Amino acid sequence: MNVLTLLLLGPLVSAVLIFLIIFLFSKVHQSVYTFLALLGPGVSAFLALFVSYYSYFEKEVFSSHLFTWLHIGDFVVEAALKADALSAFMILFVAPVSFLIHIYATGYMDGQRSYGRFFAYFNIFVFFMLLLVLADNPIIMFIGWEGVGLTSYALIGFYYEEIKNTYAGNKAFILNRIGDFGFLSALMLLFLEIGSGGFDFEHIFYNLVQIDSGMLSLIAFLLFVGAMGKSAQIPLFVWLPDAMAGPTPVSALIHAATMVTAGVYMVARFAPLYNLTPDISIFIAYVGALSALFAAVVATREYDIKKILAYSTMSQLGFMFMALGVGAYSTALFHMFAHAFFKALLFMAAGAIIAAFHHKQDIRELRGIQAPVLFVMMYIATLTITAIPPFSAFFSKDAIMSALYASGHVEIFFLAFVASLLTAFYMFRMVFVLFFTREKKSAQKSGASMIYPMAVLTLLSIFAGLLNFPEIFAGELNISHWLGLAEQSHKVPHATEIILMGVNTLFIAGVIFYTYKKYAYTDAIEKENETSVIANKFYVDAFYHQTVVRTLQAFSLFFDKTISKSLIDDSINAMAFAYYKIGKIFAHAENGNVRFYALYILVGVVSGFIYLYFLLGDVV
Amino acid sequence: MQNEIVFATLAIITIVSAIIMISAHRPIDSALSFIVTLISVAALFGLMNATFLFVVQIIIYAGAILSLILFIIMFLNIKDENLPDEKYKNRWLLATSLILTPFCAILINLILRSDIALEGATAKNFGTIQDVGLTLFSKWVLPFELVSILLLVALIGAVMLSKRGE
Amino acid sequence: MMLKAYMILSIILFSIGVVGLISRRNIIVIYMSIELMLNAVNLSFVAISADLGESSAQVISLIIIAITASEAALFMSLFVILFRNKASLDANLFDMLGDKK
Repeated sequence: MNVLTLLLLGPLVSAVLIFLIIFLFSKVHQSVYTFLALLGPGVSAFLALFVSYYSYFEKEVFSSHLFTWLHIGDFVVEAALKADALSAFMILFVAPVSFLIHIYATGYMDGQRSYGRFFAYFNIFVFFMLLLVLADNPIIMFIGWEGVGLTSYALIGFYYEEIKNTYAGNKAFILNRIGDFGFLSALMLLFLEIGSGGFDFEHIFYNLVQIDSGMLSLIAFLLFVGAMGKSAQIPLFVWLPDAMAGPTPVSALIHAATMVTAGVYMVARFAPLYNLTPDISIFIAYVGALSALFAAVVATREYDIKKILAYSTMSQLGFMFMALGVGAYSTALFHMFAHAFFKALLFMAAGAIIAAFHHKQDIRELRGIQAPVLFVMMYIATLTITAIPPFSAFFSKDAIMSALYASGHVEIFFLAFVASLLTAFYMFRMVFVLFFTREKKSAQKSGASMIYPMAVLTLLSIFAGLLNFPEIFAGELNISHWLGLAEQSHKVPHATEIILMGVNTLFIAGVIFYTYKKYAYTDAIEKENETSVIANKFYVDAFYHQTVVRTLQAFSLFFDKTISKSLIDDSINAMAFAYYKIGKIFAHAENGNVRFYALYILVGVVSGFIYLYFLLGDVV
Repeated sequence: MQNEIVFATLAIITIVSAIIMISAHRPIDSALSFIVTLISVAALFGLMNATFLFVVQIIIYAGAILSLILFIIMFLNIKDENLPDEKYKNRWLLATSLILTPFCAILINLILRSDIALEGATAKNFGTIQDVGLTLFSKWVLPFELVSILLLVALIGAVMLSKRGE
Repeated sequence: MMLKAYMILSIILFSIGVVGLISRRNIIVIYMSIELMLNAVNLSFVAISADLGESSAQVISLIIIAITASEAALFMSLFVILFRNKASLDANLFDMLGDKK
């Protein structure tokens, strides 16, 4: 069996088996589910490492042809997988992080109802995510894209007993739908333009030059609309904070490490397209910058631990889009790579804290917890996200900053700089509020199955930077060489880069110090004004509610009350009533008396007779 | 000419007795006038030289079937209160006749306008037992045999129906 | 031969039979109306047969008479059952074909 096929189908088989067990057996020991749940992603993770190894060292391209899905005339859609460098890079972190979070989840979900259902969804999610990154053509990619959206919906509303969670799931699904509409439209346009020349990525990129520039820009923009929805960028971001309603492993895996990065992956995948449309690329950079800044600002006044992390995810995704926008694709991907580890780690630590504290999420209520291991891990992750050397994100974020600087778009660079300072502020605000207090509370100990994956991720967060060591530190930018994307390289002199790094780090350290003064061992957090504009997230949700939702609601009400009820329902009811009345009349005729039936036959025969006589009268 | 007079007489008798048959209130009156109808129809057969059918008509219809009806009427011992109360009988008769009038008129009109009267020479042995019998057993054997099965079925059915339900 | 006259007589008898069948409620009269209609048809058959000098039509009449005989047997037993059940000869009472009202 092909490696990629096995890699892809592992989680699916697990999921199907779990579903079967749920449907067929009422009582199954939890360990059965655990075994099945870990089996698929475990196999996938191992094979992903294998594939990446060969891709990295041997420059090998794996591919697998599953079956021919459609074959209509010249139009062929193959269900084919291909692990070129980019895909191999993606599965390098998607599959192992998934596996680690699965292990973590066995601890987190331990003893909960619907344990099996959770892992069935989780495994299906991994399957779709792998399908998304391994697809050889946009149509298969779209299936994975939709599939992760669907499982995301299912997992956000996992605790469906509370209607709020279901609404959050709906919100995520509907907003993603808007993005998917863009993606799908882009695919259709792309197909109309160059579909005849083969529709896998290779042929598409080869034929891109045939499209005129206006249409190309439109396609690029619509594709990015899809990425906006999936990666929670302005304006389609409002679902991400609400998506924290799901269990924390879900937030860690889907809404931090993997699914939300699908948009970044997609833009990087279509890099040859975006290289041809510089306007759209800059637009992407602006959207990313605004999203990064916006999310960072909102996060400074957020109290829900998971929502802080959600906004930071959005902010970090904004950084990635900035890098994509200026053409530094491998830098963006590298940041995504590092981000997967430290953000998953942050979420898992947050989840462990939440689980240890009776599922409270407000950092003001969680103050002063005593959990040294969690503290260390969270502290490391926080240092990583704020880009303190020598943690991994330092290298990735710094690469982004220098790429922005080198691209010449100073305003974007400035926005990114402010956003990164704010990142330091809100992340350390969270850490200081949580851990640096006078009064202490003791916590339940987290289980080993939760701690070990976190430890692994901690190590990865620290050392992942080595993979793409920048040149100024005598590194070789291995990932960039490996991926070999068509990048617009913006080289800055080494001196400038070092100055940038230094200034950046200094400012960040200053911010951390300020934050320490403000929040550690004080009750500044209690005095914060919850009614400010920032605390209300700039009223974006309210604005959407007032404009989009209300308008749609008014429309729907109009259609419901007027069109549907008066026009359609009533006319159909009237028709039905008329039939009923007429039926009543004819029911009298149908009295069961054969004599009367004979009479009706007679009347019919005589009328037919008369008609025929006068019709054929001339002939006879 | 003689034939025409006989025919006209028989036709009038047939029609009048048929009308009495359908309009009489008590079934026994109907049955008796129906016998008159049947016998005059038999006479019409005879007038057409269909001697065998003439005999059959008299024996089976007027003889067997009608006597069966009369027997049943007697057997059931029908009293007046058992008869349906046909208040609107005459109206019904009138209305149905009116409905049927165009049908009749058109058919009669068509027949008068058509040229079906061939006035062909009647064969010498027409209507005799020999003639009918030969045709029956040469051309119409299968229907004849089927009729025997039908009679058997009717026989069994009649027995089953009149059996008192257990 | 007065074929047309015979045919017209046949039509009139048939129509009288139809009128009786539909307008009367007495099942015995209804039965006799049916017989009358069959007889009218027989009459036309025999008339045509005589006109053409061809005896097949007579054979058909013969078969019709045989069928009438079997019909008579069934009708008689039906009368007995119906009368036994309802003690009436009213055809309107036997309306099991329709909805129960």
